[in-house]
Amino acid sequence: MKNVDISDKAVIGNNFKTGSFTVIEDDVVIGDNVQVGNNVYIANGARIADGVKIYSSAQISIEPHDLGYKGEKTTCEIGEGTVVKELATLCRATVGKVGSRSKTVIGKNCYIMNFSHVAHDNIIGDNVILTNSANCGGHVEIGNFVNVGALAGIHQFVKIGDYCMLGTCIKVVKDVPPYIMVSREPSRYIGLNKVGLRRRGFSSDAIDSISKAYDIIYSSEYNVSDAVVKIKEELEITNEITNILNFISNSKRGIIR
Amino acid sequence: MKFASVSDKAKIGNNVTIKDYAVIEDDVVIGDNVVIGSNTFIGNGARIANDVKIFHGAVVSTVPQDLKYNGEDTILEIGEGTVVREYATLNKGTTYSNKTVIGKNCLIMNYVHIAHDCMIGDNVIIANSVNFGGHVTVEDWVIIGGMVGVHQFVKIGQHSIVAFMSRVSKDVPPYITAGREPLRYEGLNLIGLKRRGFSEEAIKSISGAYDVIYKSGMNVSDGIKKLKENVTTDEVKAIIKFAEESTKGIILDK
Repeated sequence: MKNVDISDKAVIGNNFKTGSFTVIEDDVVIGDNVQVGNNVYIANGARIADGVKIYSSAQISIEPHDLGYKGEKTTCEIGEGTVVKELATLCRATVGKVGSRSKTVIGKNCYIMNFSHVAHDNIIGDNVILTNSANCGGHVEIGNFVNVGALAGIHQFVKIGDYCMLGTCIKVVKDVPPYIMVSREPSRYIGLNKVGLRRRGFSSDAIDSISKAYDIIYSSEYNVSDAVVKIKEELEITNEITNILNFISNSKRGIIR
Repeated sequence: MKFASVSDKAKIGNNVTIKDYAVIEDDVVIGDNVVIGSNTFIGNGARIANDVKIFHGAVVSTVPQDLKYNGEDTILEIGEGTVVREYATLNKGTTYSNKTVIGKNCLIMNYVHIAHDCMIGDNVIIANSVNFGGHVTVEDWVIIGGMVGVHQFVKIGQHSIVAFMSRVSKDVPPYITAGREPLRYEGLNLIGLKRRGFSEEAIKSISGAYDVIYKSGMNVSDGIKKLKENVTTDEVKAIIKFAEESTKGIILDK
């Protein structure tokens, strides 16, 4: 540790470790057992929970990439045990605009890989993996246990449901309902994230019922709203089905096809 | 190097330039005439050969992005004369192969990520924002265009060129140009082959081999069988070997 520039006003927990040349600004709260690499920049508004690891040259809670931002006080929260790898950039939030939340939130045990960008007002769930160079637009919402492929671009205001897997290099401009895999160009539904679901302990019955629901949603016979009616008529309404139906009814951009 | 933070334990060769705010950890070996740019990070396990140039903000030999990695001692080798440009991130290996290797005289441009256990040959050019998954093998003289994503365990054959913004999820055989979506065979890398002094005869034999594989209506394995009946040059041998050793299957022409 050499030549670090840590503000006296920053609140820093126990057992904090940092490499050289790290800069930490005033309005920063850091929990216990946090490890920070070299050349890391932690700006005003950062709220970093216990056990977070941040690697070299990452930039945390930087000003949002938003022309309307005028220096308002907003935050960027990082949940327990999350890992932020080299050169990832995480923005704090905006205020007073459509979709502004005053905070950007990253959940627990996430893995944010090299060059990934988490934009202003993003809400990212727990156990999410953003692979290299995954770039989120503003106001994006990502559920729990989502895996975003390398170089994927996520359009602003898009929502991604729980347990999804997004392919490499894809362009996501519409909402992605839970439990599925998305890939190709234009990006589309390519099946359930079966491996992910099994790894996380979903029973065969649960996977079956999810599969039936998506068979209806993505069959050529119905549009989305008709499919929802059909699912309600034909399928037993399990927790997973409720999740899917809620996601669809809350989707403003429409779901991918 | 007024402000650089260099460990006393690091072995550093002659005539090495280390610029300000660079951080060099303990278990690092650096050869002669190396330039380490400002704000760079050289982590434990780095083995940097002579005449390597590393530019501003690059991050070399850091912890692999692999959830199974648990702090084992692994290394990252960079061959002589290789250039690593700004903000590239190079990971060391996992216990899978214990090392990541980058060959000689490579050019690794801005924002490139070389993942754990990758094996990169000599004279390879990797353009901006190319991201590798783990365990990728790239043979000699390959050129990869900007913003390409390469899936884990993929192999890219010698002298091939991959078009910019491609997604590589199958193996790319040697001597060809690959592009479009999904990634496909688009002909030989003729300019590259000529520049590197391949004879007319060799180029003709490569062209003939790919005509059999891609244009004869056979599937790849039948095409390879047919090729084996009459192997004319070393290049054709290399193509057959590559296709037979491919675990992910080679890209197709459509």
